[in-house]
Amino acid sequence: MREALRKRAAALAAGAAALALALPLLAANHPGSRENFAIIERGRYLTVAADCAACHTDPHQSTAFAGGRPIETPFGVVLAANITPDRDTGIGGWTDRQFDTAVRQGKLPDGKRLYPAMPYPYYTKMSREDVLAIRAYLNTLPPVHNDVDSNQLPFPFNIRSAMWLWDALYFSPGSFKADPAQSDIWNRGAYLVEGPGHCGACHTPKTFLGGDKTRLQFQGYSIQGWFAPNITNDEAHGLGRWSNADVAEYMKKGHNRIAGASGPMGEEVADSSSQMTEADLNAIATYLKARSGQTLAASSVAVNDPMMVAGAAIYQDLCSACHRGDGHGVPYLIPDLATSSTAASREPTTLIRVVLRGAQTVATKDEPTGPAMPSFGWQLTDAQVAAVATYIRNSWGHAGPVLTEDEVRKARGNLAARND
Amino acid sequence: MTNLSRRDLLAATALVIVSETVARAGVVSGQLPWHPDAGSPPEAVRPGAWQFFTEQEAAAVEALADRIIPPDPQTPGGKDAGCAVFIDRQLAGAYGHRQGLYTRGPFVKGIKEQGPQSAQNPAETYRAALAALDRYCKSKEGGKSWIELPGERQDELLHAVESGTVELEGIDTKSFFETLLKDMQEGFFADPIYGGNRDMCAWKMIGFPGARYDYRDWVGRHNERYPYPPVSIAGRPDWTPKKT
Repeated sequence: MREALRKRAAALAAGAAALALALPLLAANHPGSRENFAIIERGRYLTVAADCAACHTDPHQSTAFAGGRPIETPFGVVLAANITPDRDTGIGGWTDRQFDTAVRQGKLPDGKRLYPAMPYPYYTKMSREDVLAIRAYLNTLPPVHNDVDSNQLPFPFNIRSAMWLWDALYFSPGSFKADPAQSDIWNRGAYLVEGPGHCGACHTPKTFLGGDKTRLQFQGYSIQGWFAPNITNDEAHGLGRWSNADVAEYMKKGHNRIAGASGPMGEEVADSSSQMTEADLNAIATYLKARSGQTLAASSVAVNDPMMVAGAAIYQDLCSACHRGDGHGVPYLIPDLATSSTAASREPTTLIRVVLRGAQTVATKDEPTGPAMPSFGWQLTDAQVAAVATYIRNSWGHAGPVLTEDEVRKARGNLAARND
Repeated sequence: MTNLSRRDLLAATALVIVSETVARAGVVSGQLPWHPDAGSPPEAVRPGAWQFFTEQEAAAVEALADRIIPPDPQTPGGKDAGCAVFIDRQLAGAYGHRQGLYTRGPFVKGIKEQGPQSAQNPAETYRAALAALDRYCKSKEGGKSWIELPGERQDELLHAVESGTVELEGIDTKSFFETLLKDMQEGFFADPIYGGNRDMCAWKMIGFPGARYDYRDWVGRHNERYPYPPVSIAGRPDWTPKKT
């Protein structure tokens, strides 16, 4: 008996040791890994810059890029595809050309069209070399067998063939053309923002069919229960009061002297921009800051408006301890409401959300604290939330309409259905 | 070749048990866990009918409240401040039933630091003591109940109870009075959401600014009156927008 036990233990130990030895061998054994290192490394970086993991890695699974994460769209849920090199359920059987066509044209090898939840309208701006570098990197991943049925959309959006019409309306294929009148850094920024970064996917207002309203590019859009703010150089609603360095630092650390990233932007920082180079982040900042926007306008809401009076009292009692009486908060820890674009956004979605259920900012290597704001939904009535939000949106140089109790009631109802 | 020793077997078993436990405890990495709508907000008392006291008991406790904290021209007394409501809700809840405390014997008198060692919980003590108080009054005060006595006589009686010169039948009288005094004070000064301190009257009286979080702007400002009124966990009247 003892002998049997001992043997079994020995066999187990040997097996584990063999496995541990074999893993690096398996990886190193992949064809061409050494020769193609430069391309693969470039592909890895672009995979990060394009934030493929945001959708294709399910945060509840340990397997990267195996798909299955539900992607919320205004039309329903789409499950992200498995993009590991598994031949049956991933993209292992695809040729490079098929991969390129999927990423930049939105068409699958069988001719079916992708839904624009996959941001091919942005990825089309990428160069073929960059897309194939991503392919080369994905090829080095361990294949994972995970059969994903992507299309979970309700009728009529589940009819994939209808997507040709969408493409005809909103998709303009073609890779990025540098503007010779602009600096190299501007052009690099433009490429990253318009192409792999696909910033417009969240930050550009959409038509009722989910296409970009290109005239309003980067002027902010409500998505997944948040408002992705205006990221032009707009002084009133966007990055007008941020320096280039503020923008780059925010993307790198998730925090700067003005704001902290939470929600989907917090995920973006964690998975993507915090891992990008300083040079690329500066390029993105240069490009975004070069896009003009509105200047500050005076608030038209009187300080003795009952909503402002009540809002000021609530702000004094509940908010000022952290965000301070002057709204400036604490750099890198507590967002500066007086300078923040979130507080002044065209739509108050994020502000109301954060007051009602609280929020946690992202923790990064540079700013590992990730401070959170508590929920006030239990303490404040809808009218009181409307009052304090009105006060914040009409103080310190901000200007916005008076919010109503009804708007907050609706927002509270919408949030109740969300678990994030 | 050696056999698997008893020591090794035990060590391996221990290791398995330890790893199991660690796995169950869960590991937090990267960032602290966070959930939307987090928090365990306090539950505000429901207004309305008495939840523990009978009408008669409630009237007796309200009379006690106004003798212990008498009204004055600026501030309501214990009764109008809601001290009896506070005690009623406490006795109907966790405090009254000693929830979370060891409540079995032996019931011997302990040292002060060991707290009450009674077989009765506070709810039972109040009920018995209020009944004993009325019995005492009826026998010693010409058939009058506690609430029928004039205020001065109530004060004299309470002084006697406090000093231990009057013993209520079957009650640790002195200790009950201490409890009563403490509960009244708590009712008077606790946050209004618990039923007492109506309209933050006690906080206004002593100038306590309430459930505020931070006074950094005021740390260096000496000999200046703090301008903000008290605020309860449930806010203050100024929070609600006036109808136009």
